[in-house]
Amino acid sequence: MSLLLQVAINGLIAGSIYALVSSGFSLIYNTNKFMHFAHGASVAVSGYFLYGFFAIIKLNFFYSLSLTLIFSALLGLLIYRIIYLPLQNRKASNVILLIASISILILLQNLILLLFGANVKDIEFVEVKKGLEFFGAVITLTQIVILLTAVLFFIFLYFFMNKTILGKNMRAVSENKELASIVGINSRKISDFSFLIGSFLGGAAGILIAVEQNITPTMGTILMIKGFTGAVIGGISSVPAAVLGSYLLGLAENFGIVFLPSGYKDAISFVLLFLFLLFRPEGIIGGKRRTK
Amino acid sequence: MKIKNISKSFGGIKALDSCNIEIKKKKINAIIGPNGSGKTTLFNIISGLIKPDKGEIIFQGHDILKLEDFERAKLGISRTFQEVRLFKNLTAKDHIDISLSENYESVLKSVIKKKRSNRKKIKRILKTVDLDKKLGSYVSDLSYGQRKLLDLAIVMAKKHSILLLDEPVAGVNPKLREKIKEILRELREKGETIVLIEHDMNFVMEIAEFIYVLDYGKVIAAGRPKEIQKNKKVLEVYLGG
Amino acid sequence: MIFPYLIHILILIGIYLILAVSLNLSLGYAGLLSLGHVALFGIGAYTSALLNINGVPFVFSFLLAGLLAGFFGFLLAFATGKLKGDYYALASLGFAFVVYSLLLNLTEITRGPLGIPGISKPQIFGWAIKDNFSYLIFLALVCFVSIFLINKIVNSGFGKLLGAMRDDETGLRILGKDTKKLKYKTMFVSGFFAGISGSLFAHYIGFIDPNTFYISELVLILTIVILGGIASLKGSITATFVVIVLSELMRFLPLPSAIIGPGRQIVYAIVLIIILMFRPRGLLGRIDLE
Repeated sequence: MSLLLQVAINGLIAGSIYALVSSGFSLIYNTNKFMHFAHGASVAVSGYFLYGFFAIIKLNFFYSLSLTLIFSALLGLLIYRIIYLPLQNRKASNVILLIASISILILLQNLILLLFGANVKDIEFVEVKKGLEFFGAVITLTQIVILLTAVLFFIFLYFFMNKTILGKNMRAVSENKELASIVGINSRKISDFSFLIGSFLGGAAGILIAVEQNITPTMGTILMIKGFTGAVIGGISSVPAAVLGSYLLGLAENFGIVFLPSGYKDAISFVLLFLFLLFRPEGIIGGKRRTK
Repeated sequence: MKIKNISKSFGGIKALDSCNIEIKKKKINAIIGPNGSGKTTLFNIISGLIKPDKGEIIFQGHDILKLEDFERAKLGISRTFQEVRLFKNLTAKDHIDISLSENYESVLKSVIKKKRSNRKKIKRILKTVDLDKKLGSYVSDLSYGQRKLLDLAIVMAKKHSILLLDEPVAGVNPKLREKIKEILRELREKGETIVLIEHDMNFVMEIAEFIYVLDYGKVIAAGRPKEIQKNKKVLEVYLGG
Repeated sequence: MIFPYLIHILILIGIYLILAVSLNLSLGYAGLLSLGHVALFGIGAYTSALLNINGVPFVFSFLLAGLLAGFFGFLLAFATGKLKGDYYALASLGFAFVVYSLLLNLTEITRGPLGIPGISKPQIFGWAIKDNFSYLIFLALVCFVSIFLINKIVNSGFGKLLGAMRDDETGLRILGKDTKKLKYKTMFVSGFFAGISGSLFAHYIGFIDPNTFYISELVLILTIVILGGIASLKGSITATFVVIVLSELMRFLPLPSAIIGPGRQIVYAIVLIIILMFRPRGLLGRIDLE
């Protein structure tokens, strides 16, 4: 019992981080209809922003947090404006945008390597305290913060998408860009905001990872695959589905390694990704099939 | 070819409603009808791009609905599209070459075999549509009319026993229209079976030997041009009934 | 001093030539954006190395590397048959991830992250290739034959069908061509050559680990093929020379190797992005990447 509980908790914590990555990715995907695969690298970059502000410049933690979130959002916007937008203006296909985004991923990853070196960085903000114990399972304070932060972000995101004009416009563009532009929504501006908000969420993911675990230059790739897998499992055409899929992925990974050697953790999501793309590309929830 | 009871609806709208058509062999058949009457849908069903909700199509003894699109094409169904569909990075010559070819799908045969012998045949086919001077041209270098002609040459070159032509004279100038009419007549002389969809009523009346009229996915009339011209139902449909 | 280094560069060029040309067959000529190509390269390298270490003569391990990689190429095409565009690309990338994680985790076979050291230079029947110069001669031979064959294929009727499929798959099916089979065959052939180049890589370097067959390597070969121009063998050949020579020249910059490694990757990525943005047909291509 306590083992199951422990595994479930681990799964939910992993899931929270994947879900933050994947919500931003899915938001950008739905508004712009292409895969911003470099999103994972911008999550990694945010981890290093935090490290830079907090451990190097030695700002106080809350300034560092805010600056990291702002910089992450701006980085996303910058990528969109400098690379994707000109490509879109040239009528580049999704395949080209995908290759470009993979290149950006590699570019950012190696920029981090160049600036910070290959070794693992640790932000010692919270001292590792002994975890709290309940029903035989252990959970640390940081992990509780992660769970709550993620949920809080999703609640805010939900209200933003459903109650604010900007959010509603964003959904309108996701559903039907032509129609949205007919009723006077500036889809360029909406794309800008999708990158700002999506990367802001990615920034939050980067911060949580930096605080709980430690950061490495190449973590962007694996995070992107996890976030993407979560989105594909749930259904890439909706943000809530992507979030749900990511929690499922976190649980599946952690339950999986009860039976398999722990090295297979990543393999589980790779295989799930591949299988879902082949057999159910619309995800568990998604209805519309989009293979073209 | 026999089309039996074919029905197809798109989101509740019936594009074809128990459609029955028997294509007359070695004749020029025409399918006419107002916009949205289901003509192109029927072609798409015959060539295998769309699956019907029910019905069957018998062609050379097979129920072809069970076959994949390329298998139907191999069986002898050749079709054109309303919007000319060509390969933009292939030359005119290559278009005919791949339509003629039977063994290009095998890597080995295709690599080993010397294939100079095709050249004459390709030239001859392109000559029938006056494109023999354009052997090496890419699609982007051809005019709209030339593309229409190349499209026709492709379906002629391909091994076939029935030609489905989707609006062969849409958007072409009068001179070309006559040229295409002449080509179709020649094909008819050779004993080819042709089915065409056409909006240009004069063209249809001049050339077709048997006409089916579709309206809201149903065959409302069938017969020779003269019979169709007198048919009241048809007049109603076309003259705003 | 300079001579052995020159041979080293030429060997790398030879290996990447086969890899790039085989990728151009699937990506460029057939229009299959197969991001799984690095995995096929890796399958070839591991197959050949493992078989050879376990006593299989090089000639067989080399050919089996090609055949197995070709078979996986076929499997990938078979499995992803329905998918198009970016979904196909991502599924094939997913395949690369699966292969990577298997190489990493099947430790009893692949030794996982430790990699496989001590892969010997080939022995072809009586001819033992001991020094790099002989290896270069052998490689040049394989390279020549590979490029000759692929050139033959892309200029044949089969090649024309591939071009037509890239432009309009449905249009080609309507002409009675089984495009699925075309894809299977293309991916087999493309995989075969990726596999033998993997074998040549493994037996030259003498050590392989999973990281060699991951996403950074993918960006390198994509850069080569797209820089050269899709559906242009001349382009791929030129671009292989340019990219490999330039990245080797970077070694002579007065910088620590911790900077040169990432520096190279940054250069590849930037070159690729610039080509995509400003010249999608590459240096020598006639066709825009779409």
